[in-house]
Amino acid sequence: MDIQLKRGLLDVCVLTAIKNEDSYGYKIIKDMKPYIEMSESTLYTILKRLELAKMLTVRSCEHGGRLRKYYHITPLGLRRIAEFKSEWREVTSIYQFVIKGDERQ
Amino acid sequence: MTKQQFIERLRAKLNGLPKKDIDERIAFYIEIIDDKIEEGATEEDAVKQIGSVDEIAEQIIAETPISKIVKEKFKPNRSLQPWEIVLLILGFPLWFPLLISAFSVAISLYVVVWSLIISLWAVFISVMASALGGVVAGLIFVCTAQVSSGLFVLAGALVCAGLGVFAFFGCKYATQGVLALTKNAVVGLKNRLLHKENA
Repeated sequence: MDIQLKRGLLDVCVLTAIKNEDSYGYKIIKDMKPYIEMSESTLYTILKRLELAKMLTVRSCEHGGRLRKYYHITPLGLRRIAEFKSEWREVTSIYQFVIKGDERQ
Repeated sequence: MTKQQFIERLRAKLNGLPKKDIDERIAFYIEIIDDKIEEGATEEDAVKQIGSVDEIAEQIIAETPISKIVKEKFKPNRSLQPWEIVLLILGFPLWFPLLISAFSVAISLYVVVWSLIISLWAVFISVMASALGGVVAGLIFVCTAQVSSGLFVLAGALVCAGLGVFAFFGCKYATQGVLALTKNAVVGLKNRLLHKENA
């Protein structure tokens, strides 16, 4: 897949994984697993990028005698998901057009 | 491999990157390994699932901008002694021009390579333009009853068009080659900067 497109898609995946409640690294990977496999290194890069873009915030919480980082979505992050949904409608209609064009041949 | 071994190996591979970045990354991996263990995995399995240290390090280095590596490399590990500062200031008229000229030489070499590419494309465009012009001129000659000159010009135009097609592929591959070379050079430079530090 086109690398730019994939990057954008994975950003939205991660934002969605923390949308309903704050989440942490391992849980994000686990929650996405039925839909998309993501390596820990890839997730780290995405989280860092989203944090820089102010689409999420990070806080450390104690858990079982160690620290765990929780990621919290910001209004900017929520807006990104909404934007994705409206952009995607356009993409699906392009997809429909491509599929139909292919069948006609 | 135990968690400790994984951390030590990764740290060694990443040596040369900013320390804060390495610490943050490693804390991230530790957290996930601990979470996996908490869920019932053995330490060995948890580390294995993260992947090989070499691959992880390679990905991290590929993602780190070269400016960051250079900045880290030339950052002094301790504060400068007063005499070093004096030397730096006194030596400024010497080292600054040297540094600037070294940079300029490197940049001009790179610019030369790209000017070659641009001139190749210019040749391609001019050959194609002559082909087009030749066809038009040839047709005009033929219509104005100068048939033999007209045919001659048309033939010339066809030769130009043929050369142009060849030139296009040449230009294309040359451009792609230089782009690939640039990419390799950046990767090579990064590894060089990091490995020197490791040695």
